[in-house]
Amino acid sequence: MAFKGKRFIVGKLGLDGHDNGLRIVSKWLTDSGYEVVYAGLYNSTKRIVQIALEENANAIGISFLGGEHLFYAHQLMNELHQNEMEDVKVVLGGVIPPDDVRELKGLGVHAVFTPGTPKRKILDTIDSLFQ
Amino acid sequence: MSQKEEKMSTYLEGERVPHFRSLSGIEYKEVYRRSEWNGELPDPGEYPFTRGIHPDMYRGRLWTRRQQSGFGTPEESNERIKYLLKVGQTGINMDADVGTKLGLDPDYPLAQADVGLQGTSLSTYEDMRVLYKDIPLDQVSSTLIINPPYSAVIMAQYLLLAKERGIPWEKLIGTIMNCALTQLIGPTYQAQISFFPIDLTVKIGLDVMEYMVPRSPRWNIVNINAYNVRETGVSAPQEVAFSMSLAADYIRRLTKRGLEVDSFARRMAFFSAAHIDLFEEVAKLRAMRRIWARMLKEKFGAKNEKSLWFRTAIQTSALPLTAQQPLNNIVRATIQTLAAVLAGTQSIHTTGYDEAYSLPTEESHKLSIRTQQVIAYETKVVNSADPLGGSYLVESLTDQIEEQSLELMKLIEDKGGFIQCFKEGWVEEQVNEARYKMAEAIETGDHPVVGVNIFREEEEDLKINIFRHATDMQAKRIRYVQEYRKNRNEEPVKRALENLYDLVRRKPEVNLFEPIMEAVEARATLQEICDAMRRATDFVIPS
Repeated sequence: MAFKGKRFIVGKLGLDGHDNGLRIVSKWLTDSGYEVVYAGLYNSTKRIVQIALEENANAIGISFLGGEHLFYAHQLMNELHQNEMEDVKVVLGGVIPPDDVRELKGLGVHAVFTPGTPKRKILDTIDSLFQ
Repeated sequence: MSQKEEKMSTYLEGERVPHFRSLSGIEYKEVYRRSEWNGELPDPGEYPFTRGIHPDMYRGRLWTRRQQSGFGTPEESNERIKYLLKVGQTGINMDADVGTKLGLDPDYPLAQADVGLQGTSLSTYEDMRVLYKDIPLDQVSSTLIINPPYSAVIMAQYLLLAKERGIPWEKLIGTIMNCALTQLIGPTYQAQISFFPIDLTVKIGLDVMEYMVPRSPRWNIVNINAYNVRETGVSAPQEVAFSMSLAADYIRRLTKRGLEVDSFARRMAFFSAAHIDLFEEVAKLRAMRRIWARMLKEKFGAKNEKSLWFRTAIQTSALPLTAQQPLNNIVRATIQTLAAVLAGTQSIHTTGYDEAYSLPTEESHKLSIRTQQVIAYETKVVNSADPLGGSYLVESLTDQIEEQSLELMKLIEDKGGFIQCFKEGWVEEQVNEARYKMAEAIETGDHPVVGVNIFREEEEDLKINIFRHATDMQAKRIRYVQEYRKNRNEEPVKRALENLYDLVRRKPEVNLFEPIMEAVEARATLQEICDAMRRATDFVIPS
């Protein structure tokens, strides 16, 4: 399987601490063969990208709740671009209204998962990013 | 089986739920008989208050309708508060934004993108003045949702506002949440240790309580936050045991300061969840009343009857609410609200149907209030106290939850109390385990959720309105606080902050509330006050 051993940096950006979803998806990723580096809460975009660089990550997974997703997604995509890290997949999740999901995809975000998405769908979509 | 075949077999055999366990894993019996429960049941208003703290309950007075609100600038939140009061809200429930809850001003780089998103942004004394413009502090009760040590700053702002308006502090009615360790998204360890030293956090929470007790006798000094614990996915007995154990820690520490238990216990209240398992939630709240009453009387020697009253605010849990088919959430929240009413709570926040998308719109906020009004005025469930009391099912479930909770409380006490368990990471382990179990139960269908793992509709079109923040709100707040610092008289600020720094550095055991209030009065901002204390403890925050 192409995705086995792929390395994910998983965390939250800014101050929001709601991490139920992040914890759960991290476990699902680990259980299905991904390597997860759990960056936890209170990261700046710079810090997440720095970790991704140091860890030679294949993907970054960020979870949002409070409505800060557009601000940080713009910042994250720019930061990756500046570091010539466009090959790193960006996967976002959390409380994100449908219009914003479209906008995020337009920014080049590879996948967005909103509440209630089944585990199978999340994992299949992520696996397919590495096919 | 194909979907069609499955449907046909459902028609033939009838529908069944997958099992008969409660949300917390208690097995419901097929039928409850007298043999299951034949106990003593003192009346409502009688010790141990299983049936309610008042003999007449909602006949005497309905619960307070207290919708959480707060977003954007204090000006915007003031408008929303007035709107809510106009449509029938009877108490204020003011939520601060995440930056405020972490002691950061809007212009702190890591805070800027979160300003005003999940609550209102409060930094200066003038912010409090704007937030409560035209609202009589001695006539409407307010809950201020803010955790220690920042609760000291917000409480000081509120007290100074009362002073400015000539309202004596003994007339203030309301609550400061002021609960260390559980406010920030339940008991998440990282959230508690990243922005302030944890022991000083707990200590300043107690300072606030100690300061308020003699000066503001109608003010609740803490709302022990069971709700945020439950929202991580733990069981009802865990919600009870964690919050009761934390309360016990507070009581021990306050009495250690030389305070009489009866001087403060009646001003301690709880903030609990109403989840979707109706009978279990009613049983849980009845069990909590009994556990509190017995704990206060037998363990802590309280003599005043009011010390034995377990009083709680309820918020209907957001965990059962779904992004899929969001109108279904109106039904869920109604049932959860009914559970809270049948359990005899003191105040209710009914969570909005748009919870899985954004903060509530005005429309959604109003519907939450109307939900409570329909239950209060139309259904007649308020006419008798503890209407489910004496039900074999509810009584035996109450006993079971009490028993499981007490067992867990004993375990926590043997491990050194909740605060100790939290610091050692034990609480975090329990919480994480519960989260994974919750997710797994939804995945396997063991916990059915309509619209999510059953009766799901793919390619659903969202038809509800979604709340949007004003686009310039964050920039406005950032500018505001920067200009505020430029335009004030610097000398008193410097003096007050140096004094606070010195005290924390040299005499951290003294009550820090007054020096914090002096800094607020001198026009120091929230973060400046917190930074002075951080510097004094050589504490570095994430940047």
